[in-house]
Amino acid sequence: MAQQVAFAQIPDVVKRFIVHFHQAVLDNNLAEITVAYESGWNRLTEKFYAKTEWPEAEVIAPLVNDDQIFLILYRELYYRHVYSRLQPDIDDRFHSYENSCELFNYLLNSDGPVQLELPEQWLWDIIDEFIYQYQSFCVWRSKVKSKTDEELILLADANQVWSSYSVLNVLYSLIQKSKINEHLVALQEGKSAEEIAEIVGEYGVKPLYRMLGYFSIIGLLRVHSLLGDFTLALKVMENVELNQRSPFTRVTACHVTTYYYVGFCYIMLRRYPDAIRAFVSILNFILRMRQYHTRSYQYDQINKTADRMYALFAICNALSPMRSDDNISNIVKERYGEQFAKMSRGEEGIPAFEELFVYACPKFISANPPPYEDPEQLAAHMEDPPVEPVQRHLALFLSEVRAQAPVPTLRSFLKLYASLDAKKLANFLDADEEEMVQQMMVMKQASRSVSRVENEKGLLDGQMISTSDLDFVINENMVHIAESTVGRRYAGWFIRNTEHAQRVFDTLRNSSLPAPPPKSTAQSAPANGANESATPAPRTGGQRVAWGGVKVA
Amino acid sequence: MPSLASKWASPPTRTPLIENLVSGVDRYNPSNVSILEDYLYHQTRSEEYDCLANLAILKLYQFNPDLYNPDVVIYILIKALTSAPFPDFNLCISLLDERPAATNPDEPDPLPTLLPILTSLYNLLQQCRFPAFWALYRSDEAETLRDNYTVECVGFENAVREVVIRAVKAAFTRIGSERLGAYLDLSGGDLTAYVESLGWSIDPATEVIAVPPNPDNHIESTVVQENIQLPQLSKIITHATQNARGAL
Repeated sequence: MAQQVAFAQIPDVVKRFIVHFHQAVLDNNLAEITVAYESGWNRLTEKFYAKTEWPEAEVIAPLVNDDQIFLILYRELYYRHVYSRLQPDIDDRFHSYENSCELFNYLLNSDGPVQLELPEQWLWDIIDEFIYQYQSFCVWRSKVKSKTDEELILLADANQVWSSYSVLNVLYSLIQKSKINEHLVALQEGKSAEEIAEIVGEYGVKPLYRMLGYFSIIGLLRVHSLLGDFTLALKVMENVELNQRSPFTRVTACHVTTYYYVGFCYIMLRRYPDAIRAFVSILNFILRMRQYHTRSYQYDQINKTADRMYALFAICNALSPMRSDDNISNIVKERYGEQFAKMSRGEEGIPAFEELFVYACPKFISANPPPYEDPEQLAAHMEDPPVEPVQRHLALFLSEVRAQAPVPTLRSFLKLYASLDAKKLANFLDADEEEMVQQMMVMKQASRSVSRVENEKGLLDGQMISTSDLDFVINENMVHIAESTVGRRYAGWFIRNTEHAQRVFDTLRNSSLPAPPPKSTAQSAPANGANESATPAPRTGGQRVAWGGVKVA
Repeated sequence: MPSLASKWASPPTRTPLIENLVSGVDRYNPSNVSILEDYLYHQTRSEEYDCLANLAILKLYQFNPDLYNPDVVIYILIKALTSAPFPDFNLCISLLDERPAATNPDEPDPLPTLLPILTSLYNLLQQCRFPAFWALYRSDEAETLRDNYTVECVGFENAVREVVIRAVKAAFTRIGSERLGAYLDLSGGDLTAYVESLGWSIDPATEVIAVPPNPDNHIESTVVQENIQLPQLSKIITHATQNARGAL
């Protein structure tokens, strides 16, 4: 009865949408599914469900002939909406887990590969949301104090729900089923499409499995990072080549996530040059695609991640001062100039490191729940709650920062001399000579880093490189200093101005004659007329146009 | 030749069995923990070291708190202490989730008392405060650590000395023997023998040791010239060709 009432309350336009959406899924019509998924759903959410849940799957079941597969997909969207717009309660959390299990069970344990097809963006969102809900559950679960009695009882019984093992199991199963690693290796070896089809088998040839496999690798990168296993996070990426030309980078959100976690892991591995390279590459990508994507529903999320990467870039650059991309450095100066200045001053900059790290780090989780099943231990746990994961990782990071805290001061003195006596330097610094000499060794080590130099296989590989323009050596008690200077750089200036001139020329050429009264703003909104017509109206992973086209040339 | 980092990520001494555990999904199988633990004990006896295999043990402990063996964790941390220039020690700590205090009062967990000492030792090595490192290491405070643990790790003190030598080699061209002795915790004949084993020479008159030239202690001022890569110009060239086409 209640269901019929609920059914009657669904606006007709929503009913029509669901019927249409269902038909598109039945037909495997990717274009229609994309429209429903990316615009229809969001539009109706704004209109009818901005502050409440969508109708429950059981209620709309009659509209879709009780199609269980569609209902699983529908619930996927239903719960995602609850997590992003509303407050999920414990039932939502448990049920969204069950629904994810059903979905993956259907994909992995049906009789052979399933015939379903979904847009790449949705496939990415499925994996992304699965991990987000896991992480969200772990954080929620770790807060014992706020639990009601009923929640305590449910949690005591439910140690498998959102367990780390179950999440990893899904991701590894998708990777194995799709043979995505074999696929990536075959691509690198230049194998033909037929050979690859042979290698990856009946699952891997299907775009659905192939993409889920690839996204699961990125998912593992993320899960391992959240759990504090930064080496394993990079190790699972062994066969992924970080570049923007791979056929697997069409989903922008996935691309951005990949670089964020890779960069962060490099920071925790103390490989700052590698981290900087990752951030520069993706931040430039985001800057370039911005003009095409301002209305995408993910735009906000990407922008937030980008801002955190600017903060991480500032951290890396303070710890390993080196010249890098002007564009990115300038934006960092605008946003985090104050913190950057503090971080470049050693010990007194520690609070600035702390501030940026806590803001920009992943939302770390503990692998294990509080002891809900044991009331006695739970009481002890509440009495003396463990340090939060983020604080543990912060402390470890700060210990690395502290170790090289004397470096900026030493650097600023050494810059002034070609050689000087160690005793004299110690006097300037008001320090003990022996201590100062030891700090010099720290400085030397801080100016070297393991880094990928070129084409190393795997993200963990790398060689020792020098990262500093200032080098020195101690001959018994005499410090000799050498500085590498960078010759004046012209290219950026000429490139920027050439591009500007091209835009001005285009604008002039495209304007009709006789020229209308000149507008002063006309130049800053260049006529990309030629490109615009090439951009398809519904966004179907359209950044290919933004960036791929330029890069291929 | 394998690079520094590839030797770290997969040491040549790793057996195929271990490689399979480190790189495959079998690493999550709790019943494999004893294989990895045996491998760790082998490392303590043989001066071999395999960070990723040891992290795999900690990963199993992280997911299966019942497997937790404090002695194993302590050996892993001791091996990680001397893994310069890699931050293995912190990578290991990072996997040690907070755990409830030992439930069995008959077997107190030694880790909570030893962890602060190990952490201090690590920080001193990181800060190149080698004399302070030896002072703490030889202190009463670290007695349990020495008598029960580092004594079981063959070559631990020499591994610390290798960390010292790494730092000295990079920063010095010549170093007084008193200073180097304090860094290495060696003096007299022991110091001379150690320095000779490195192939370094001591000037008998001044007691100054010459550090052989290497890329890190050889410095030179250079001017770096800008190097323009073709991709930087691709946008301009693309535009130019499109325009050329448009003009036709």
